[in-house]
Amino acid sequence: MNANVLPFAVYVVAAVVYAVYFARREPAVGRAATTILLLGTLAHTFVIGMQTMEVRYAPVSNFSWAVSSFVCLLALSYLYLELTTDERAMGVFILPIAVGLQAVPVLHPGDEAANPLLDSPWFWVHMASLMFAYATFAIAAVLGLIYMLQFTEIKKKHLGYLYTRLPSLHVLDAMNSRAVVVGWACLTFGLAVGVFWAVEARALAPDNANLQAMSLGDPKVFIALLTWTLYSFSLFARRVLGWHGRRGAWLSAVGFAIVLLNFLAVSNFLQTSHTFQ
Amino acid sequence: MHFFLLGLSHKTAPVDLRERLDFASRDLGAAVEALATRPSAAESVVLSTCNRSEIYVASSDPERAREEITAFLSEYHALPASSFTPHVFTHDDEAAVRHLFRVAAGLDSLVVGEPQILGQVKEAYHAAADRRCTGPMLTKLFHWSFVVGKRVRAETGLGEGAVSISFAAVALARKIFGRLDGRRALIVGAGEISTLTAQHLRRQGVGTIAITSRTAAHAETLAAEVDGAVVPWDGLGEALGRADIVVTATGSQRPILTRAQVEAVTRRRGDPLFIIDVAVPRDVEASVGEIEQAFLYNVDDLQAIVHENLSRRSSEVERAEAIVSEELARFLAWRRSRAAVPTVVALRQRFDRIRRAELQRLEAKLTHLTPEDRARVDEVTRLIVEKLLIEPTEQLKDLPDEETQIAYTEAINRVFRLREGEPSPMPGDSAAEATPADPHDT
Repeated sequence: MNANVLPFAVYVVAAVVYAVYFARREPAVGRAATTILLLGTLAHTFVIGMQTMEVRYAPVSNFSWAVSSFVCLLALSYLYLELTTDERAMGVFILPIAVGLQAVPVLHPGDEAANPLLDSPWFWVHMASLMFAYATFAIAAVLGLIYMLQFTEIKKKHLGYLYTRLPSLHVLDAMNSRAVVVGWACLTFGLAVGVFWAVEARALAPDNANLQAMSLGDPKVFIALLTWTLYSFSLFARRVLGWHGRRGAWLSAVGFAIVLLNFLAVSNFLQTSHTFQ
Repeated sequence: MHFFLLGLSHKTAPVDLRERLDFASRDLGAAVEALATRPSAAESVVLSTCNRSEIYVASSDPERAREEITAFLSEYHALPASSFTPHVFTHDDEAAVRHLFRVAAGLDSLVVGEPQILGQVKEAYHAAADRRCTGPMLTKLFHWSFVVGKRVRAETGLGEGAVSISFAAVALARKIFGRLDGRRALIVGAGEISTLTAQHLRRQGVGTIAITSRTAAHAETLAAEVDGAVVPWDGLGEALGRADIVVTATGSQRPILTRAQVEAVTRRRGDPLFIIDVAVPRDVEASVGEIEQAFLYNVDDLQAIVHENLSRRSSEVERAEAIVSEELARFLAWRRSRAAVPTVVALRQRFDRIRRAELQRLEAKLTHLTPEDRARVDEVTRLIVEKLLIEPTEQLKDLPDEETQIAYTEAINRVFRLREGEPSPMPGDSAAEATPADPHDT
């Protein structure tokens, strides 16, 4: 049986419990939701660990496995934000994303052909940092959209179902800001490790054309740097220009949309040497 | 032991009488202590808020308690009893318990579901408990009422949503700024609503409150009350630049905050500016609401919120009443099970006496047994008695109502001759028809 079904099922349950919590706002239900999600991520980590042992490196080089790892990191990142702000109302928005994405490895369990080049601890660190960064940016984008939603509700004096259940603008802004900071730190670290590792790997495999061709001009590398610049600006704008609140929310939503579009373009239409399948 | 309640509330007495019979402004502990010197009110709690003065007692003689409490009220407040007795209500036992549960749940409040009442009930209980004026019955009753209050709050929307303009304003501020500590409020004009709002803001821990008014004296009075700082009237523009929350309530005929003024201060800020205009005519130009970073709410907007919340609360009343009834039933069941205790104890003692007497009678025939075997015999007989008693004990503690309970208790008392000093009933002996012991007299 496809091992990804187990975390998928737990995420589905967590999503339902988060929805019940959102509607009924009973603290016990909220705590139950968090516990279920925590169990889900543990199960998921276990599944990924098994796959890692199978191919001897982080299982991310085929699409399905990469998505599975991404979902696990998304859930972890969300749990971190939830536990540090004690705000559980966002689960109902984040969990469906996790469930939707986790359906990919469930429906198309890919096969991973072991690639000796990736059998390095650096690869694991590089991929995990970058994926965690993107997962966190995805959450920041959702938080940004919700901020805008709550902002509009208050602005239009429409103080109904959503207004009552969504957190305060301040909390949404704080969560968003924290997500961007954490994401940026991981992105920076992941990129630095990538550069370091690429230099090392190039020396080890002088006949690998892909590795030798890797440069800043490569679309995937270029996009990564563009993303880094974008989120660096976002941090600068928040800290120095005082762009929090609505502008910060916009920035994280638009930023992630740009990242997503670029990634789709890179992986579908452009030639990149940054591929190891 | 019976519960008895005597009180008056916004439903039965006019405000001037409630004021004269108020305990809250005086020392509640001293009052309950003075009351407890009367024999029928030795176990008592005095609950006093601006909308009610109620005295709860656990007494074996409710009729006497009524007289003594009335006399106490009259003496303590130096009022002739005739001035308040027509406005007083009383409840016994089940009705008294239900009343307290409804009060703690906020169902009996002037504004249904208002949040303070549960705290006031707790205070009333602690004032009495601290002076040792509460016994096991009232302690259990009041703790049960706290549970009812909490359940209603957690499981229904009865206490949800602000139902006054000033609360609605503060609730909105919290939805915008989260916790209010560190936030700066500016009060423009010291009217009734702005004063109430300032007080709520202070209670919510707002960082600073700046107050400005055309009449400096008004500003100073309010500033003293809410620990705020007075800002001169011509410093309004500057104070606006520093504020997160602005409350305007002047009697001005023309707007005192224009779009240009607000735009100038919001351009530089990341956080939104929340303006509450409770003045009529309005103090803030309506177009200020169009500024991206400004939330503008006027008195009609807040009134609309209050209306909506009130109607939502009234739809929750039924669910809250259901919780009260459920807890009342549980409480009464607990009380019945407690009332069964003396009979159960007497029954056990009786059985155990018989067991020991029989063992003693057999003593001479059991001399050949080793000490271990004797201990075993003792153990086995004890277990038999225990097992025989399990079912009757459970049944006695779990009877559906008080009448059945009295009947069962009496039957057991007779069947096992549990009353002490009772001669063995012979046919036609009238002693066995003695009045049954009150099951509550514990």
